[in-house]
Amino acid sequence: MRRRHFLQSMAAAAAVAAWPGPWMAFARGAVRPPVLVCVFQRGAMDGLMAVQPRAEGDLPRLRPRLVLDPAHAPALGIDHRLHPALAPLRAWFDRRELAVVHGVGSPDPTRSHFEAQDFMETSTPGVKSTTSGWLARTVAALGGTPSPWRGLALTSARPRAFHGDTPTLSVADLAEFSLGDLPGAAVATRGFESLYARTTQELLHDTGHESFDALRALDPARVRAYRAAPEAAYPNTRLGLALRQMAMVVKEDVGLRVGFVESQGWDTHVNQGADQGAFARSADELARSIHAFRTDLGEHADRVVVCTMTEFGRTVHENGNAGTDHGRASCFFVLGPRVHGGRVLGELPELVRAELEAGRDLPVTTDFRAVFAALLRDHLGVSTVDTVLPGYAGGALPLFA
Amino acid sequence: MIRLPWRESGWSAHEAAAHLLERCAFGPRPGEVDAVAARGPAEWLGGQLAGGLASPRLDRFLERAATLDLDNHAIVTTYPTLGEVRRAAVRHGVLPEDVDDDPTLYRSTLREFMRRRGQRPQRELFAETLAAKLLRVLLDENQVREVLVDFWSDHLYVSGADPRARRFVGTYERDVIRPHVLGRFGDMLRASARHPAMLLYLDTAGSSRARPNENYARELLELHTLGVEGGYTEDDVLEVARAFTGWTMLPFGEEREGVERRATGRRARTAGAVVDGDFLFRPDRHDTTAKTVLGRRLPAGRGIEDGDDVLELLSTHPSTARFVSAKLARRLVHDDPPASLIGSMARTWERTAGDLGAVTRTLLRSEEFWDRSVRAAKIKSPLELVASAVRTTGATVTRPRSLHERIARMGQPLYRYPAPTGFPDHAEAWVNAGSLLQRMKFGLDLAAGAIEGVGLDLLALNDDHEPADLRDALLHYGERLLPTRDLSGALDSLERVARDTGLVEKIDERAAQSPAPAGEAAEVGPLDGTRETSRAEPLAADADATTAPAPAALARAVGVLLGSPQFQRH
Repeated sequence: MRRRHFLQSMAAAAAVAAWPGPWMAFARGAVRPPVLVCVFQRGAMDGLMAVQPRAEGDLPRLRPRLVLDPAHAPALGIDHRLHPALAPLRAWFDRRELAVVHGVGSPDPTRSHFEAQDFMETSTPGVKSTTSGWLARTVAALGGTPSPWRGLALTSARPRAFHGDTPTLSVADLAEFSLGDLPGAAVATRGFESLYARTTQELLHDTGHESFDALRALDPARVRAYRAAPEAAYPNTRLGLALRQMAMVVKEDVGLRVGFVESQGWDTHVNQGADQGAFARSADELARSIHAFRTDLGEHADRVVVCTMTEFGRTVHENGNAGTDHGRASCFFVLGPRVHGGRVLGELPELVRAELEAGRDLPVTTDFRAVFAALLRDHLGVSTVDTVLPGYAGGALPLFA
Repeated sequence: MIRLPWRESGWSAHEAAAHLLERCAFGPRPGEVDAVAARGPAEWLGGQLAGGLASPRLDRFLERAATLDLDNHAIVTTYPTLGEVRRAAVRHGVLPEDVDDDPTLYRSTLREFMRRRGQRPQRELFAETLAAKLLRVLLDENQVREVLVDFWSDHLYVSGADPRARRFVGTYERDVIRPHVLGRFGDMLRASARHPAMLLYLDTAGSSRARPNENYARELLELHTLGVEGGYTEDDVLEVARAFTGWTMLPFGEEREGVERRATGRRARTAGAVVDGDFLFRPDRHDTTAKTVLGRRLPAGRGIEDGDDVLELLSTHPSTARFVSAKLARRLVHDDPPASLIGSMARTWERTAGDLGAVTRTLLRSEEFWDRSVRAAKIKSPLELVASAVRTTGATVTRPRSLHERIARMGQPLYRYPAPTGFPDHAEAWVNAGSLLQRMKFGLDLAAGAIEGVGLDLLALNDDHEPADLRDALLHYGERLLPTRDLSGALDSLERVARDTGLVEKIDERAAQSPAPAGEAAEVGPLDGTRETSRAEPLAADADATTAPAPAALARAVGVLLGSPQFQRH
C-alpha cells in the first residue's frame, strides 16, 4: 500500500501549469523580471533525514542511529518532521512560501556522483553527450538584453549547469571581480576594452564586451561595501557568503535571471549523525544561509524563487559506519512568496523494505525535470520549455498552482 | 627526420618556429623562436620526438620531492584518508568508538597517531603532484611530451575530485599516461584499465558477476575509444561490463600480503587469477558466460582474456581511430579540425594499429597543421595561458601554487575536473566574462610582480635596454611576447588609449633600487611552495625579491600585452 501525500497525474499538472503564472502580469507592468536561484547540494543529501515522514514504518529498524528525535524535530505539516538543523526553514513553510518535493530524482539510476550531477546540470539524464547546461539554456531561452549578469554562478569553477555558448558569469567572489587595485588598473581596463573591441576573434570580442559591460554594471567596491538587511544573519561560510552576494546582485538590478550556488558536505557515508553530526552541520549551514537570503531580499523577494537540488538520495538503511550510501530519490526545497507552499509534494512509499526500490532506496516518483519545468514555465515564464529540457515530456509539477 | 611543409605554405622559418613552440610546447622562452628558426623547426621537432632531453633546472626542483617516486602502496601507507586513519586508530584502541563530541581532542589524537606511524596529511601529496605538473610544463625541455601528457591525461581522465581516486592521480599520470604518449594506444588503454586510479574512479574494482558495474564499460566505449557515435549499443555496454567483472586490485592494507600470496598460489593461478603490480584479476568474481561485443564473440569459460580482448578490439577499431584522432587534432590544430586531417590520422592509426607516435607525426607534417588559417586560431586553456606567460617573460617561479590558484580561478582546477570527460578542449569552455577578466588580471599582476613566488625582470627581457617611450615599449615587448605575430593594429589602439590618459611619461626614469639578481639559484625553492616549508627554505623566503623593479608604466604595458586578446590565442 502506498501513502500518497500528493497525487495528481502529470497530464493534469501540465494543464494547470500551462496557465501563465502571476509574474506575467507583473512583468507586463514593465517591472523587474523573476529570478531563479539554484542551490546545488553536492554529495547527495539524505532526503529522508531532511524531511522524515511521521509514519516511520521500519525506519527505527533500518536506520536505528539515524532516526530523528520527535522531541527536537519540528513538525512540517501533518505528515512530516523537519530535521532540527533545518528549523529556520519551518517559518517559511508555515507561511506557505516553502514547498518540499519528496521522492524526487533522476530517471537514470546511476549512483555515481559526477554522472548524476552531470545529468541534473545538463538536465538530460542518461545522455552524456550534452555539452550545454540547463541554466545556460534557460538564460538563452529567456532572451532579453544580452547582459552576462543574466546568469551568475558564485562558484569557484564554472558549473556544468552554465556550460554552453550563452554568456554568463562564474565568479568565486564578486569582491574580486575586477582588474584589481594595482596602480593604473583603470587605465589598463580602458586599454583592454579597446583591444578586445578590436579583435577579430568573435568569442574574445563578444566576451570581452560582456566582461566590461559586467564591470560597468557592478563596481566590486559596492560589493565590498554591501550591507545586508540587519535581521539577515548569514553564516560566515562559503554558501553564506555566496548567497549574501547573490542577494546584493538581485537588489542591484543588473539583470540577474538565474543564480547558482553550491552547498557541500552531504556525502555522509560515515557517522551521518541524527540531531547532531555531519548531516546536521551541513543542514545548519544550508538552512541559515537560505533563511538569511530570503530575509535579506525584503521587498525584492516577491520575484525570487530559491530551489535546492541534489544529485540523488541515500540508502534508507544505515551502513556499518553509521552513515548511508548512495541511493535514489531525495527531496528538494522550493521557496518564494509566489510558491504554493506549505505542502510536501510528491510521493513516498511506505517505509518498509518491500516497498523500497531494490529493497534499499526511496524510489524516484517525481522526475527532477518536473520541478525544473515548473520553475521554467510558471516562474521564469519560459515559453519554450522543450528547448531547455530536450527530450522531456513529463509535464510540470504544480508548484505555483 | 620528420619533414615539415611550412615553406610550401609560405611560412618563414621564424613563423614556423613560433607556431611549433606555441602548439607543441607551452610557449616560447626568451630567444627560443630565433634559436629554433636558426636550427630548423624540423630539427627541433625531431629532437623533441626522440625525447630524453636533459632538464637540469627541472631536476633541481624535482629532486626535493618526497612523493613523485612512491608506488601506490607507499602512497596509501604514507598518505591515508581520514577514514583510514580513523579506522586504524579505533583498531589500535587510540580512539574510542564515539569521539565526535570533542572535535579538538579528536583531531589532535589523530594527528599524533599519524605522526607516530610516519604518516602525512594528503594535502602534501596533492600539493606536490600539482607543483610537479606546473614545473614540468614550465621547465621540462621535453615540451612535446608534456603537451601530449596533458592531452592524454584529459583523454583517459581520472578526476582528483573523486576522493577514492584522488591520491592516485599522480602515479596514474606517471605510470599510465607518460610512458605511452608516443607509444601504442592499446598499451596506454590497458595500463589505464589496470591502474587503481581508474579501477576506483569508474568502479571496475567493485564489479562482480553478481553485480556488474557498467560505469567503466560505458566510459570506455563512449569517452576512451569509440565515441558516443562510434556504433555501439546498450547491449554492448552490458557485455563489456560483464567482460570486466573480476578486474580489481590488491588491497593496500595489512591484508595485502595474504591476498597476494593466495592469488599467486598454484590453485589460484590454475583458476586464472592474475596479479600485475597492484592489479588483481579474480576469476571467482568473473562472469564466465559467453559474450558478444561489437559483433565479436567472446567464448564462455574464459577469464582475464575477455577484458584484454575487448581492450585490443577497441584500441584498433576504426571508430576509435577517428574519434581519438579528431580529439588530438582539436587540441593541436583547430577547435573544428578539418575532416581531411582526421581522415589521414585515422588511416595511420589503422595501418599502425594505434601507434601514437606515427599518428602524431601524421598530424605534425600535415598541410592542415601548417595552413595559415590555423595560426593563432586556438584559445589557450588557462594552463596554457599561464604557462606561456611565465615562459615567454622568462619569469622565475618559486611558488607554483600561486600559479595553480590563478589557473583554477580562470576555470581549470588541475586534476579536478568533475567529470570523466576531462577538461574540454574548445574555446567556448574557457572564455566567459568572469574567466576572461581573470586572464587580464593575471597579465597585469604577473607584469607588476604581484603574484607571490613568481618574479620577473622586465628590463632583462629587453636586454637591459629601457624603451624610450610607450610606443617603443609596446613594440619591443610585443615582439618578445608575441613573436612573429602582427600587432600593428593592436599597438595603435593601445597607444591611443595610453596617450589619452597621460600615460605617456617617459619610461626611462630609473627605479630607485637596482634590480635584484635573478640568478638560477634563486629559482630553486621548496617543491610545493608552501609557506610552511618556505620558512625552512631561505631561498624561497625572499622569493618575491626576484622581481626586479621596473618602471610602473613598463609593467603596465607588458601587463596589457599579456592580457590582450592576441596573447589569449596561439
